[in-house]
Amino acid sequence: MKQWMCVQCGYLYDQAVGDPMGDIPPGTAWEDIPDDWKCPDCGALKAEFEMVEI
Amino acid sequence: MMTVMPKLADLVDQSFDPFEVEKLSTGDSPDPYPRIHELMKQGTVIKGSYRTQFSDVPDVQIGHMDQYMVLGYDTNLKVLTNPEVFGNHGAFQHTLGKSFGRTVTVMDAPEHTRFRKIFQKAFLPNVVAKWGETFVDPVVNRLMDAFIDRGEADLIEEFTHHYPFQVIYSQLQIGREQTKVFHKLAIAQLLSAIGAPQGPEATDKLGDFFMALLAQRRAEPGNDLVSHLATVEADGERLPDEVLISFLRQLMNAGGDTTFRGTSVLLTGLLTHPEQWEAVAADRSLIPQAIEEALRWEGPVSNTVRYVSEDTELDGFFLPEGTILNMVLGSANRDPSKYPDPDTFNIFRERKVRNLAFANGPHVCIGQHLARLEMTRALHAILDHTRNLRLDPDKPAPDIRGHLLRVPDHIYVKFDKA
Repeated sequence: MKQWMCVQCGYLYDQAVGDPMGDIPPGTAWEDIPDDWKCPDCGALKAEFEMVEI
Repeated sequence: MMTVMPKLADLVDQSFDPFEVEKLSTGDSPDPYPRIHELMKQGTVIKGSYRTQFSDVPDVQIGHMDQYMVLGYDTNLKVLTNPEVFGNHGAFQHTLGKSFGRTVTVMDAPEHTRFRKIFQKAFLPNVVAKWGETFVDPVVNRLMDAFIDRGEADLIEEFTHHYPFQVIYSQLQIGREQTKVFHKLAIAQLLSAIGAPQGPEATDKLGDFFMALLAQRRAEPGNDLVSHLATVEADGERLPDEVLISFLRQLMNAGGDTTFRGTSVLLTGLLTHPEQWEAVAADRSLIPQAIEEALRWEGPVSNTVRYVSEDTELDGFFLPEGTILNMVLGSANRDPSKYPDPDTFNIFRERKVRNLAFANGPHVCIGQHLARLEMTRALHAILDHTRNLRLDPDKPAPDIRGHLLRVPDHIYVKFDKA
């Protein structure tokens, strides 16, 4: 399974869950997340995420 | 060539028992949460230290400094995510910096950012996922084999107290003949907090050992974690020995002791709520939410610290530069405005709010993915090997104690072999 992962802390974005605390509703596709959104665990920017095989 | 493993020197006083003495540091409080709720009702920033709410044992490291407690979810998050004002170095140089040395916990940006990325790379979810079968399963299966035929066990003394440490020994390829001394020194190094001379002694002896181990693995690199870290380069440079040795010292505690406590609390929560244990046994897809609830309910670390690096205000309170903030993570995770009925263990609660068991911000726990993996594998192993697991009705129920690091002393169970 492939997921977007924050390389600063390892947080995995789960589209089904979204990031409700960061105003990203469940079901939001990665492409639709704004560029100024921050990793909910460490605060890194979206640009710090990479697609990885889990 | 024959590899000779360096030898870790024991404490001079071999009768010294750090496992008993550590309770002076981590506390023996049966339940700090009523007091935490009282404090939360008083406000979000309160003068005083978390430790002195529960213990008369003096803090010889930062006890003399001005301290405020930070309470509740939102204010903890506000501080943890603002490292420019609320730093780590000013606080941790007096505490974990004495025990472990120059670790990433003790650093602020930009130094922290640079080293953190290198260490985190070795503990990303896609990396540690591969360790489940290779490192964790053999350890948990071996430990369970020793008691599975008896139909009863103390899951603390025979399982949780050992398996995360043994996973680390496997990763570092440390022989079993040295593991008792390792476990002892890993715990003893933190006792600098209460002025025990065995604290710095353990720090020095672990440092000497890891220095020798680094030299050996650089000469003959293998596929273990030390060989990887000893040879990894960032921006064309190797990690400085001091930073690497400090990290390895911290790994013994951060990777071993906290996962021991987290797993013990997970089992306590489930076994004292048998209907939730049965639900997980019947549907293992519930394991991740059971782990998150255990981390929220009784996070392994109830309190951490930050340093006010410039005059500032927090929720209307003036905080002068130099103030130590006690980040009461236990209050964030039991904040009734975020978690209805917060003192109840309930794996089915809504999970809209991420718990702060591993903190948040740039210093969020590097090992959180390994911790979750280990807890998952441990729970699977218990479910695989036992049926009808329940608390032993003839022995005391598990009693979680401590104000800083919480864990029960025993989890006595009975079961049928699967």
